Amino acid sequence: MKNNDSEQDIPKIQKIIAVFWPSFLTAGLATIFFFTAFDPQLMMQLAGYTEISRMAGYTVGFFLFWALTASTCALTCYFRRPCPR
Amino acid sequence: MNTTDTQTTEAYASHKKVYPREVHGLFASLRISGVLVLLGLYYFIPWISWDGHQSVLFDLPARKFHIFGLTFWPQDFFYLAILLIIAALSLFFFTALAGRLWCGYACPQTVWTEVFLWIEGKIEGGRSKQIKLDHSPWVKYKFVRKTGKHIAWIVFALWTGFTFVGFFTPISELGHSLLNVSLGPWETFWIVFYGVATYGNAGWMREQVCIYMCPYARFQSAMFDKNTLVISYDENRGEPRGSRRKGLDYKRAGLGDCVDCTMCVQACPTGIDIRDGLQYQCIGCAACVDICNEVMDKVGYSRGLIKYTTENALEGKPTRVLRPRMIVYAVLLCAMGLGLIYSMATRVPLGLDIIRDRNALYREADNGWIENIYTLKIINMDKTDHRLSLSAEGISGLRLQGAAAEFTAAAGQVMEKVVRLQADPEVLNKAGYDINFRIQAIDQPVLTLTEKGRFIAPVRY
Repeated sequence: MKNNDSEQDIPKIQKIIAVFWPSFLTAGLATIFFFTAFDPQLMMQLAGYTEISRMAGYTVGFFLFWALTASTCALTCYFRRPCPR
Repeated sequence: MNTTDTQTTEAYASHKKVYPREVHGLFASLRISGVLVLLGLYYFIPWISWDGHQSVLFDLPARKFHIFGLTFWPQDFFYLAILLIIAALSLFFFTALAGRLWCGYACPQTVWTEVFLWIEGKIEGGRSKQIKLDHSPWVKYKFVRKTGKHIAWIVFALWTGFTFVGFFTPISELGHSLLNVSLGPWETFWIVFYGVATYGNAGWMREQVCIYMCPYARFQSAMFDKNTLVISYDENRGEPRGSRRKGLDYKRAGLGDCVDCTMCVQACPTGIDIRDGLQYQCIGCAACVDICNEVMDKVGYSRGLIKYTTENALEGKPTRVLRPRMIVYAVLLCAMGLGLIYSMATRVPLGLDIIRDRNALYREADNGWIENIYTLKIINMDKTDHRLSLSAEGISGLRLQGAAAEFTAAAGQVMEKVVRLQADPEVLNKAGYDINFRIQAIDQPVLTLTEKGRFIAPVRY
C-alpha cells in the first residue's frame, strides 16, 4: 500500500477540515451578500415570527449558511469515495 | 498523547513542532514594524472618535458603516465590490512583483503568530529552552511556565476578540457592559468565537494554517514568473556545504560558502530547509535571509548566500521588473482606484426604491384618468437634512398625487410615501410605459436621483 494516494491515506482530521473550513469561508461570504440585500429584522417581521435583534439574525443566519455549505462539502466528500464493486 | 518526543498529532498530519529561532536583521525589523503598525491600527482605531461617532464602525445593528467621515448604507454595496476587486488586483500585482509579501509581512496569521511567538519566548525562553522544556517531565517549573503562557495567550486572544466585536458594535458601550458583566449573548458568543480562533490559529496551528488551510498559498505560484522576487539559496556559491575549521582555505578543500550551521532551518517558521529550493511552504518571511547574513558576517564571508532574488538572476539572466503583466496589473489597479475615488466623490447620498402596488395593475380614478399606485422608499443617507422635491415623468401630462411635491428628509431618515400617478387615457395607446421618478435636493440641486418605474395602462383593441 506504499505510495497509494487513495482516500485512506488522508488523515481523518484533514477530511474534517476539508468539510468545515471551505464551508466556513463560503458561509461568511454568503452571509455578507445575503444580509446586505435583506434585513433580518424585516424578514422575521414579514414571516410573522417574533422580533429578534439584528445581531441574533446575522449570527443565526451565518450558522444556517454554514450548516448548508458544510453539508454540501460533506456530501461531495461522501460521493467522491470509490463505489463498491 | 505522545510526549516522548516533540512529535505531536496536530490538526492536519502528525508533524514536528516548529520552534522558530528569534531573528534580528533588516527583514525582521521590517516585519516587526509591520506587526506594530497593523496591530496598532487594529487595537487602537475603534477607540478613536470622529464626528461624534466611533471612527471605524461597521454598525451591523443599525445597518450602517462608518469609516471616518464617510457613512455607507447597504445601498452602497457597489463600493465594497469595487474595493474587493482592488484588493484582489493588489494581491496579484504584489505577488507578481515580489512574491509572498502578503504572507511574510501583512497576513493576520503571520502578524498574530508573531505576537504569540513573542509571548512564548518571553515566558518559556529562547528556542533551545523551549525544546528542553517540552522534553522535560511535568515538574512545577514546567507547569508554571506552560500555564502562564496559555493564560497570557488566552487573555490576548480574548482582547483580540473583544476588539473584533468592537468594530461591529460601539466599543465603548461594549467595554462598559464587559465591566458590568452585562454583555449580550451574541456579543459574548462572537468575542469567544474570535478569541478561540485566534488562540487556535496563532498558538497551535501556526504554519499549518498556511500550508493546509490557506487558499492563497495553494494558488499563489500561478502568479509567479521568472522575474518575481523569491527568497532563494545560492546553490552555486554555497555547495558543497560543510562545517570547517577557522582559517581553513575552504575553497581549496572543495567546500562552498555554506557552513551548514542549519541556522536557516532553525529560524524558519514553517520548518523547511530553504537550501532544498523553492517550496510552497515558504511564506517569504526572509527570516533565513537575516540569520544567514548574520552568520556570513561572523565567518567573514560576503552576505547574500540566501537572499531575495529572481529565477532569472539565479540563471544569470537579466531581471525585468517592468514587464507586460506588471503593466497590465498596474493599469487595471490605477483605473479601478481612480474609478472608486471618482464615484465616491460624485456619490449622491439619496436612495429611492419604487414598489408597485400589488393589488391592482391600474384603476380608473374619479376623473376618468388611469391611475397607478406606488410605494416609494426614500432615504436621505447624508449627514445633513435636505428639502427634497419629488416628480415623475415619462407620459405627457402625467400627474403625481398623494404626496407633497416638497418635503424635508432628516439626516439618515428612511421614509415611505404612497403616491398615485395619473395619466390621461387619451394619450395612453399601449399597455405599459417606462416612467421615471426623480428626487432632487432643493438646497443642493446637484443631488438628484432618478429611478425607473413602470406604468400599466388598460389594453385597448
